[in-house]
Amino acid sequence: MKAKKVIAAALTASMVLAGAVPAMAEDGGSKITIWAWDENFNIKAANEAKEIYQKAHPDVEVEVVTMAQDDIVAKLNTSLSSQSYDGLPDVVLIEDYKIQGYLTSYPDEFEEFTDVLKAEDFAEYKTGVNVVDGKLYGVPFDSGVAATFYRKDMIEEAGYTEEDMQNLTWDKYIEIGQAVKEKCGVDMCTLDPSDIGQIRMMMQSAGVWYTDADGNVSISNNQGLKDAITTYKKLVDAGITKQVADWDQFVGAFNKGEVASVVTGCWIASSVKAAEDQNGKWGVAAFPKMSENEASVNASSIGGAAWYVLKNVGNAETAKDFVATTFGQDVDLMNQLAEDIALVSTLNAAADVPNYSKGSDFFGGQEIFNDFTQWTSEVPSVNYGMHTYALEDIMTEAVQAIVGGADMDQTLEEYQAQAEAAVMQ
Amino acid sequence: MRDKKKVNIKPWLFIVPSLVLITLFVFYPMIQAFITSLQTGMGNNLKFSGAANYKRLLTDSTFRKALFNTVLYLIVQVPIMILLALAISSMLNDKRLKCKGFFRTAIFLPCVTSLVAYSIIFKSLFATDGFVNAMLMNLHIIDAPIAWITTTGFARALIIIAITWRWTGYNMIFYLAGLQGIDDSVYEAAAIDGATGFQKFRYMTLPLLKPIILFTTINSTIGTLQLFDEPMNITSGGPANATITISQYIYNLLFKYQPNFGYAAAVSYVIVVLIVILSFIQMKVGDDKE
Repeated sequence: MKAKKVIAAALTASMVLAGAVPAMAEDGGSKITIWAWDENFNIKAANEAKEIYQKAHPDVEVEVVTMAQDDIVAKLNTSLSSQSYDGLPDVVLIEDYKIQGYLTSYPDEFEEFTDVLKAEDFAEYKTGVNVVDGKLYGVPFDSGVAATFYRKDMIEEAGYTEEDMQNLTWDKYIEIGQAVKEKCGVDMCTLDPSDIGQIRMMMQSAGVWYTDADGNVSISNNQGLKDAITTYKKLVDAGITKQVADWDQFVGAFNKGEVASVVTGCWIASSVKAAEDQNGKWGVAAFPKMSENEASVNASSIGGAAWYVLKNVGNAETAKDFVATTFGQDVDLMNQLAEDIALVSTLNAAADVPNYSKGSDFFGGQEIFNDFTQWTSEVPSVNYGMHTYALEDIMTEAVQAIVGGADMDQTLEEYQAQAEAAVMQ
Repeated sequence: MRDKKKVNIKPWLFIVPSLVLITLFVFYPMIQAFITSLQTGMGNNLKFSGAANYKRLLTDSTFRKALFNTVLYLIVQVPIMILLALAISSMLNDKRLKCKGFFRTAIFLPCVTSLVAYSIIFKSLFATDGFVNAMLMNLHIIDAPIAWITTTGFARALIIIAITWRWTGYNMIFYLAGLQGIDDSVYEAAAIDGATGFQKFRYMTLPLLKPIILFTTINSTIGTLQLFDEPMNITSGGPANATITISQYIYNLLFKYQPNFGYAAAVSYVIVVLIVILSFIQMKVGDDKE
C-alpha cells in the first residue's frame, strides 16, 4: 500500500516537472525562428543580422532556417488557415507579390511596425504593398529593381558600344540582339514560356499591372499590358531567344555564355558573378523601355521581398524588435550586406553607405549600386493586388496563344472573364 | 432467438475499429469537403454561396485544360501501359527464360523509386541539352535537340513516357501472379489442339486474367486521375499550363495562389465523380454476361 503511494507521488511529481520544464524555457530565454529562402542571399543576410542583434541581446537565441519559398508559402497557408501555430517561425520572408493576399486572407496574424518604423523611410514602391490602412506590416528588404546585365564583349563584337545600351528601348534591344545572333552566334536572352516575368517588368515600367489601382482585374482594356505583349511577341519572333524551363537552366545559360544578356532583378548579380571566367566582361544598363508606350520608363522591378513577424506564434515582441533594429534601420548592416551579397537595400538611408560608391571589378569598375539605387527611385509604384500568381498562370496561356498568332483583343477579352472568375472568391 | 443475436454481434465488434477509423478519416472529410465546396472566400473568410463554385467550373478554361490533359493521359497512357505490362509478364512467365529473377526485379524496380526523385531525374535526362537529346542526335534520329519541356506536345509525351516507365512494372507483377495461377495443363491441352502462341495469349491468357486486368485498369484509372507528382516536378504544369492535371490545379488553388478552399474542394469533387463513373463503366464492361 505504501509503495503504491510512493509511486503515485513520484509519478505526480514527475508529471508536474515535465509540465513545468518547457514552460520555464518559454519564459526565460527567448528564442526566435526565422524562415527564408536562398542560401547565398537571404539566409546570409539573416545570419549577419542575427550576429549583430545577439551582440546587443546575448540572451536571445535566433535560429535561421533555410526553406524553399514554395514550402514557406504552403506551410504558412496550411498553418494560418487552421490557426495552429506549432512549428511556425516568428519571422518570415515573404515576396512582395504575395503579401497582400496574406494580409487579406489572414488579418490579425501579422505584427505591425507603425510604432517603431516609418513607411517613408523605405522605397515608395516597396511600402506600396505592405501598408494597409496607413499601418506598416513588415520591413521591406531587398530591391527587385530591374536591370539589363549584358556581355560587353559580345555587344562590341556585334558592332555596338556601351553608349548604345543607355536609354535603351526594347526595339533597340532586339536590333542589337539580332546583330549579336548574327556575329557571335549566341542568343540575346532566355525566355521561359511558363514564366512571363519580362511582361510583368514591362508592365510595371509603364505603371500598370494585371490589376488596376483598386485591385480590379485589368486585362482587356490595359494598353500597357497590350504593349508589353506586343513587345514580347516581337522578341520571340526575332528568333534571338533561348528557351529554358527552370531556374537552373536560366542561370546556366548566362554562366555558360550561351546568351549575351539577362534582363531581370538586380538580385541576379550574385549569380552572374558566379562565372568567374567572365570577370570584367559584363556591364549593367537600365531596364529597356517600350517605345510604343509613352508612360514606360527605364526602370522596373521584379521579385523582392520583405520581413514579416507572425503575431500569434510566440515571441512576437522580441521578433519585432529584432527585425526593426536590424533590417529596419541598421545602415551599417546594409553596408556590410552590399559587400557580402550585393544587396540593394530599400532602406532610403542606405543610399549613402560607403560600399555603394565602390566600383565592382566584375562589372569593369562600374558603380553598380549607384545605378541600382538611382533606378530604384524611378520604379513606378503599382498595386500588385492579391492574385499575381493566379493571374500570371492564366496570362501565360493568353500570351502563348497570342505569340502563336491569336488575335490580341479577342484573346484578352476571353481571359479577362477568366481572370475575373479567378479573383472573385 | 436471443442466442442467435448475440452471436451476430461479435463480427461487428471486430470491424468496429476499422469502421470508426474509415468514418473519421474518409467519410467525415468527404462530407466536410462537400460542405466546403459550397462556400467561397479567401483563406479563412468563407461564406456559403450555394453552387457558385460549381458554376465557376463551367467557365474556367484552366480547369477545362486540366481536365483535358488528365483525360488525355488516361486514354493514351493506361492502354499502352496495360498492354505493355501484359506482354512483358507473359514473356517473363515463359519457362525457357533464363535469369527470370533479374528481369522481374529490373522491371519492377522503377515502382519502388520515389516519385519526386525519379521525376527530377527524368527532367534532367530530357532537358534540351540532356542525355536523351544527346543520344538521339548521336544516333542521327533527330537533327536539332527537342525542347521536351517547353513544347506542348513533347511535354505531354514526356509525362506519358515517365508514368509508363514508373508504373508498368507494378501492373506486370499483378499479371505475373495471375499467370502463375493458371495451370500449365490448360496450355498443354491447347498446344495439342494446335494453338499458336498468339492464339494461346488471345483466347486463354486474356480471358483467364480478366479479373486482374479489370482490377489493374481501375487502379490505373484512379491513379491517373490523381496524377500530381510528375507534372509538378517535371514540367511544373508548363509550358503555360499545357501539362497541368486536375490534382495539380487543386494544389495551385490551395497553395500557389491565394488559398481558395471552396473552389479547390469543388474541383476535387469532379475527380470523385469521374472516378465513380469510370469505375462503374469499367465494371460493367468487364462483367461477365451471366
